[in-house]
Formats: sequence, structure tokens, C-alpha cells
Amino acid sequence: MNCPGTGSDQAGKSTACQGCPNQNVCATKPKGPDPDVGDITEKMSKIKHKLIILSGKGGVGKSTFTAHLAHGLSSDNDKQIGVLDVDICGPSLPKIFGVEGEQVHQSGSGWSPVYVDDNLSLMSVGFLLSKADEAVIWRGPKKNGMIKQFLRDVDWGEIDYLLIDTPPGTSDEHLSIAQYLKESDVDGAIVITTPQEVALLDVRKEITFCRKVDLPIIGVVENMSSFVCPKCKVSTQIFPASTGGGQKMAEDMNVPFLGSLPLDPRIGKCCDEGKSFLTEVPDSPATQAYKQIMSKIVEYCTKRNENRESDSGEMKTN
Amino acid sequence: MDSLEILDEKLTECPANSEDAGRSSVCEGCPGQTLCRMQGGADPDQEIIDVRMGAIKHKVLILSGKGGVGKSTVAYLLSLALARCQSSKVGVVDLDICGPSIPKLFNVENQPIVQSPYGWKPLVSPNEDVKVMSVGSMLDSDTTSVIFRGPRKTGLIKRFLKDTFWGKLDFLICDTPPGTSDEHMAIVKLLKNVKPDGAILVTTPQEVAVATIKKEISFCRKMGVAVLGLVENMSGLVCPCCKETSEVFPGRGVVSLAESHNIPILGSLPMDPKVTECCENDRNPLENYPESPTVQGIMEISSRLIGLVNNG
Repeated sequence: MNCPGTGSDQAGKSTACQGCPNQNVCATKPKGPDPDVGDITEKMSKIKHKLIILSGKGGVGKSTFTAHLAHGLSSDNDKQIGVLDVDICGPSLPKIFGVEGEQVHQSGSGWSPVYVDDNLSLMSVGFLLSKADEAVIWRGPKKNGMIKQFLRDVDWGEIDYLLIDTPPGTSDEHLSIAQYLKESDVDGAIVITTPQEVALLDVRKEITFCRKVDLPIIGVVENMSSFVCPKCKVSTQIFPASTGGGQKMAEDMNVPFLGSLPLDPRIGKCCDEGKSFLTEVPDSPATQAYKQIMSKIVEYCTKRNENRESDSGEMKTN
Repeated sequence: MDSLEILDEKLTECPANSEDAGRSSVCEGCPGQTLCRMQGGADPDQEIIDVRMGAIKHKVLILSGKGGVGKSTVAYLLSLALARCQSSKVGVVDLDICGPSIPKLFNVENQPIVQSPYGWKPLVSPNEDVKVMSVGSMLDSDTTSVIFRGPRKTGLIKRFLKDTFWGKLDFLICDTPPGTSDEHMAIVKLLKNVKPDGAILVTTPQEVAVATIKKEISFCRKMGVAVLGLVENMSGLVCPCCKETSEVFPGRGVVSLAESHNIPILGSLPMDPKVTECCENDRNPLENYPESPTVQGIMEISSRLIGLVNNG
């Protein structure tokens, strides 16, 4: 039933292609390796760790998590962090990072991302819009073209982490990222969910997607786990874990569970104001939870690097 | 390396729905250009869709630029309210192909879609007899992912309208995924001859959500879809313990947005854990918690909607 990929040998010819409006185009266009994938792979080779933040479900906090993971990683001034926003229709990250209205510049070595801090940069379609309220009404192929440009033409430099924030779903953007980065040794995906079954239904599909495209899964993060009433301090489950929440789902799907993040209304406020919640509210239980999850992600990446070094026998600095 | 291009109004709008599809200057260099050229022109299936949709009095889109604001939940509650309180015959089509929430909400999971001589028979929810069609009901299991690119999603949406035996309905509520892409362009194009009543825009209070609603308003304007009004979801949480209302997603953007764009606010829906639990456990919140402020809110929204579509 699933698309074999517009670049595959089976494109347009597979049984899954029957009835697809794109079938003729796929079947008749010339095949062969996409030359841009080589350029992308070369660019990505200068980036030590590539992480993709996914969820089948919208509004679970992918962009919020991506931004705060970036803030957390960049608190080490020796690390260089890049963030790529591939949500073409609903780019939230410029606002969350407090850099709306900034301009992207082009140099001989590529498009320069916007610097949020000295060691933290961001690229988003939001920076390319002449008006912030403009809707980007593009079909899949045009979105894919922009994503390819982002991966090929943005000059990140030699950075330690590239975090790629995605829109919800398992469609063009996700297939394109998987396709264009297939030779770039992506460290893995972080899958975000909220506790309720309506979210988990979509997130299970996302985990299946990751397996189908051979994208390693670093783990599941359950966001908005509970809400503490600021008045009486009693904890309420706004999104009830009626089927066991993210942790049970992770166990059932045989993927690691990285942790739970409580819902602190100050997180939303910080995102609206373009500030880091980790810096603004350092004593919140949510900040502690973020830090614990981040350290697990860093540990995963470090171990993966060590395994690669021992496999190849080469020495790399981390 | 391609040159950096600032996307002005001309470049952000794909003409795929028009006669210029694939032929406009904007199309040059677009990877979808060939497809659009091949698919441009009159669609032979349009006549069948016009007949099916002509038997439905009101077609309403539920849109939001942002994910997770509660479009599907609002679509669900609104359709229950229209059926229960306004005695309307209601159908819901789930246009979210990759993340279909509708079968779970309407308690029609594990029910197969059956072919009849008149087309696919939509599933009927035990909650208020609402007719439902979703890709979720076509999947083997809930872990099966639907990895479709745009054209295939568009093809399936067309089949939902063309091949489903909706019959005569008062309302068809179209639940959409977040964004302004293939699914949204498809539904607007497919319904253009039968003049949908318009779109309800759902948002949550915080600015990050309100910012993307502005894009959705821009989408509606460009595509000629009337904006019926705004629904502010998750406007607050009533603590079940102390009964105080707290802000979960703080923000005041909805009121100023409504004023600046001259769009009515159809209503605000606070979060009620009891209603959320109903949605998770296949129970009808209108029947089980009629006194809930969320249920009261959706009933007011449904009667405002009736007023709008009957006066329009």
C-alpha cells in the first residue's frame, strides 16, 4: 500500500502505484541516482550528529522540544548547534526562538542560517516569507524541492548537532528527509507523543514509518504528561493515559522510553516570547525533566560515536 | 546551489487548482510541474462528486494551521451537537490521511467499510448516528502507517467524496490535517462547484497557534473559502479539585485576531478532563456530561453555526 519512493526502481511500477495520480510521471521519468543526494551527504558529513524530531500527531510539542533541546545542548559553549525547520506550511521555530523577521543571507559557500546565539543557528521557511502571515500553499513536490534546497544549500559549517524539526504525519516531508539523508548516517529519531490514545494511535504509525525507512529510533518522549494547578498544586491529567500512555506504547513497540515532561503553562509563554524556558524557569520540574531526557540523548549519540570509532578503527574527536 | 528567493505572495501560492496548473511562470522549476500539466484541465470525476455533494445541504471545513489544537475533537463534538441538539443529519469525512483520529473519536474502530451498489457505505457512529468516512477504517491495524505522497492523498480524498454513499445530509463536516497543502487544496477544488459554506478555524490561545491561524486565513482568502468564524479551544482548564480555572496555554491573541480580521468568534471551549476521558473511552460526552462547560460551549457553537449557514 505504501509509496515505494519516487526515486526507486519500482516508482510507478509497483502494485502500490496502481491508482496513484502520479503513476505515469513516476513510470516515465528517467531513473538513476539523484546528484543532489551526493551534495547533501557531503554537507552532512561535516555535522557530527543529526537528529530528527518526529511525531505522527500534531501539537504534541515537537517544535517546543526541538527548541529546548537546542537551547540545552548549546548551553555548552564549546558545542555548535544547528536547527532545521522543515515544516513548510506551519513554521513555528522562528517565533519560538525569538528571531521572527530575521533575514537569511547568501554567500559563496551557501545560505547562512540565522543565529539565535553565538553557537546556535536556525533555518526555516519562515525567514523566506515576505510577509509572516502569508500562507505557503504548496503541493508535496514543491515542498520537497524546498527541503532539498535546505539540506543542500544551507552552510551550517562544522557543527556538533543538527536538529531537524518536522511537521506531523508520514508524508512528503518525512519521505524526503529519509530519502535525501539516507547516506548521511543520521543518528536517529526522537518521537514525541502526549499520553492520550488519540495521540498514541498516530505515533505508533510514525514508529512504523521509521522502521520502514530504516531510521533508528533513539526513543519516545511523552510530553504534557500532567498539569499542576498553580492554585491548589494538585496534579491533573489533561490528556489521560487511558491505554498506558507513552511509556506503555514504547514498551509495546519495543522502543526506548526517554522520559515524561509535565505541562507547565510557563513553557507556552516562553515560546510565545521567544525565550528559553530552561533559562527563565530553571527550578521547574519540567526543566529538570528536560535535562534528564537531554542527557540520555547525548549519551546515545556519544555511545554511537564510540561504536563507530571502534568499528572503523579511526580516531575522531567528539 | 540555487539562489535564495524571498517568497512573495505570487510564489507562495501554487496554481495547481487553476487552469494555469503547470503552465504558470511560478511553476518553472517546480518538481510537480509535469504532474500538474498532465492533470490539468476538466476532471471527469467532478460531475459524480457534484451530484453526491449536491445532496448535502451544508459543507463545512474544519481548519487550523497548527496541529494539535483540537480540530478533530471540535469536528466530533460539533457533529454530535448538530445531530443531537439541532436534529441534523450529519456526516464527517476525515481528510487526515496520515494521522486519522476520527474512527477512535466516533467509536467506529474495528468496523470494516462495506461496498454497496451505491458506493462505499460510511460507518455509522453509535454516538448520535453520525456517518463517518476515514482511511483509519481501511487499515489492518493501528500500527499500520499510511506513507502517501501528496498525489496519492489527493486521490484518496477524491474517492471519499466520489465513491462514498453519503446520501442526503444536512451537514458534511470535513476534518483536515494541519497545514495548507495537498489535502486542503484538494477539498477546496473538489467542492468548488457545490459552494461549501465555509471554514471554521480552530486555535488555542497561545501566539504560536494564533500566528498560524493568520496563515490559514490567508489560505481561505486565496482559495475563495468563506471564514465562518473562530473557535478557541483549550481556553482554560477547570481544576477538578479546586474548581479554579487556570490557563494551560496562556495567550490573548484570539480576540485581537478576530477584531483585526473582522471574523466572529463562534465560541471558546475550556478543557474538561471528563470530556477528554469520554473521547478516549468511546462514551458520548453530550449524553454523559451535559453540564460540562465544554459541552455547553459546543452546543452554543452549533447553534451559532446553524444561524450562519441558514442566513448565508
